[in-house]
Amino acid sequence: MKAKKIVSMLMTVAVAVSVLTGCGGGRTAEPTSVADTAKTAETEKTDSKPTGNSSESNASEGNSSKGGVVGVALPWLGTQNWAEAEVMFKEQLEAAGYETIIQAADQKVPQQQQQIESMIENGANVIVVGPVDGTQLGSVLEKAKDAGVYVIGYDRLLENTTGVDGIVQFGSVKTGELQAQALLQGLEELKGEAPYNIELFGGGPADPNAPNFFKGAMTVLQPLIDDGTLVVVSGQTEFTQCATADWDNSKAQSRMDAILAGNYSDIEIDGVLSPNDGIARAIITSCENAGQPIPVVSGLDAENESVKWVWSGKQYSTVAKPTNALVAKTVSIIDSLLAGNGMPETDVTANNGVIDVPVYELPPVVVTKDNAKEVFADDPDRMALLTE
Amino acid sequence: MKYIKKVLGEDLRQYTMVVALVALIIVFNIASGEKMVTSSNFQNLISGNAYVLVLALGMLMVIVIGQIDLSVGSVAGFASMVMAITARQFNLPWYIAILVALAIGMLAGAWQGFFLSRLGIPGFITTLGGMMIFRGGVIWISNSISVPVPSELKWFGAGYLPEWGPAFTGMNNSTLLLGVLAIAVYIIIQLKKYARSGDITGEKEEFWPVAVRIVLVTVVIGYMTWIFGSGRPGTSFPIPGLILVILIILYHLITERTSFGRHVYAVGGNKSAAELSGVNVKRTYFLTMLNMSILAAVAGILFVGRSTAAGPADGTSWEMDAIASVFIGGAAVSGGVGTVIATMVGGLVMAVLNNGLMLMGVGADKTQVIKGFVLLAAVAFDVYNKKNRR
Repeated sequence: MKAKKIVSMLMTVAVAVSVLTGCGGGRTAEPTSVADTAKTAETEKTDSKPTGNSSESNASEGNSSKGGVVGVALPWLGTQNWAEAEVMFKEQLEAAGYETIIQAADQKVPQQQQQIESMIENGANVIVVGPVDGTQLGSVLEKAKDAGVYVIGYDRLLENTTGVDGIVQFGSVKTGELQAQALLQGLEELKGEAPYNIELFGGGPADPNAPNFFKGAMTVLQPLIDDGTLVVVSGQTEFTQCATADWDNSKAQSRMDAILAGNYSDIEIDGVLSPNDGIARAIITSCENAGQPIPVVSGLDAENESVKWVWSGKQYSTVAKPTNALVAKTVSIIDSLLAGNGMPETDVTANNGVIDVPVYELPPVVVTKDNAKEVFADDPDRMALLTE
Repeated sequence: MKYIKKVLGEDLRQYTMVVALVALIIVFNIASGEKMVTSSNFQNLISGNAYVLVLALGMLMVIVIGQIDLSVGSVAGFASMVMAITARQFNLPWYIAILVALAIGMLAGAWQGFFLSRLGIPGFITTLGGMMIFRGGVIWISNSISVPVPSELKWFGAGYLPEWGPAFTGMNNSTLLLGVLAIAVYIIIQLKKYARSGDITGEKEEFWPVAVRIVLVTVVIGYMTWIFGSGRPGTSFPIPGLILVILIILYHLITERTSFGRHVYAVGGNKSAAELSGVNVKRTYFLTMLNMSILAAVAGILFVGRSTAAGPADGTSWEMDAIASVFIGGAAVSGGVGTVIATMVGGLVMAVLNNGLMLMGVGADKTQVIKGFVLLAAVAFDVYNKKNRR
């Protein structure tokens, strides 16, 4: 008798379930319309004549708005380059007529994963990702790919995933080379005859650029270390020894304090390879506190504070990676994608562990006191810093 | 009101958070332009928060015994990093790597349990130490560089149930099967309970509340089945969600039906009384901490599967999310009170808040502020209610 009751109940359930599913009308592959049409257009384009430029094809969709939703996922806003990127992306994307979603993840990987997912939910056609950790977005980016969303890596490589269409960045090995060359130039200019006592600093190991900066720098420095022109007094020349976890300035400063206390009690330090401006300033502060003469220090990012220091001669050099140029390049790729023209051509690719990703590299620029005025000629904010 | 009580049971207060959860979902769905209640978003919600909910399961028991575990994030990060290195650098198959991760969790838990139960060091201190030890350990063994994991492990963090059978159902048949199974099991349990209801008192309870209950649950599970099953082909109820559901059932049974579960509540409610009535307090402490760290390892596996790589910062501040879920779920800071299901609802409230605010494009900064207020409000409401009852 009980069994009968259960059977009848189960039937009710079956009916209930079928009613519920029936009203939904079954599953459909939710298409994201613009990206779909864009991708279709891209494939069609191969066999049709290249007629007209992107602005013409946009005109048919209406002149007020080009349409398309662009998501921008940034790692955080704690350094000047990311804070600038947020503002510039907002301005340039909205000026181009796209609906723009910009979110910063506060350096937290789970947060960034969920932000990217919410951009997919919001119907983004293109998502620009400045990753917190380029290896840890694998499944989320593949989800984006499955939903027909283009993914562009910004400033850092997106590794370990098939869900990436291209990377826009400054050549990171090249950046390292430039940093090392600037360091050598400064040493010759300011510190007399070789040999020079130097120390090496690297960036945050979670950022795939950091080892490349270091690698680039070492291709310049290693031969000179080998022939005795440069002496790394602490003996720390491996990236893992020199790295600065999370690009944390205070960690770099403590490491510099320890190195100075342990190795430089009776000698002077001449130069330090620094991977970015924040760390450069931490190093200079540490040397000042230890009563050392200010060494020749390299940098990166042309942060306002460091631009002032370069101008006053306290920090010898920095490398400018004009955020404006990088954002503009990214927006031009987005224009091409949403106009249905696909990814622009490029010669450079980088293997991300799974696939070869097209890379759009921009050249960085070394800034010293001598050329600062030329480099920042188009940048009124930084020009203002050079007057003091 | 009388009728509602008959259906839901005497204590309606336990449904406050459920109501809040449903209200949140509805409000966000309207505010975000119907982007909240969609297949893909619910799938995201589950696979993006499963690791926190798994941690909350263990954290509930830790909080019920009157302790706290600050090390779970670090343990999760450490266990999953060891797993990644095992698989990547020693080329061992992925299932061995998982076993290694679970073993690490067990060892970490035994370590903390030993200090708490044998040496009597408060859990706060023991696990504060553990938090530093294991966080340092992760950075140490990884050299602060992320380690990719084999693609098989992705299934645990971002996988879906298989597709099979006829297409006319209009959804993923694995999900459909799960849903039907869940409903069937619920009905059987309810009917058995009903059949037994007169055994002791000799007075059979009415049948209609049972029927209403069954219909309600059938509708809810049926709707969920449809939401999760009707997404893009290839998607379904997520694997991390399935693992979570299995764990929820398991821990619900452990806490409600086993003597160990009763000991946990007894020790948390009144340690001396529990000890006098023959409960082995030290053993309960030890096992609870051991269990917590094993679940931390599971959470680490789920997260790394989703991320496709283990990173040096994995697990940072996860303990805080887990603790918040438990307290929003109505557990008492002094211990002894709290249930698995309420904790899961608490965790989901946080998850839905996070997800909904993101869908609306609210930044991480403001989200954090709002979550803080919700935590305070939920606990304040709970405390206020308890005071009024007396």
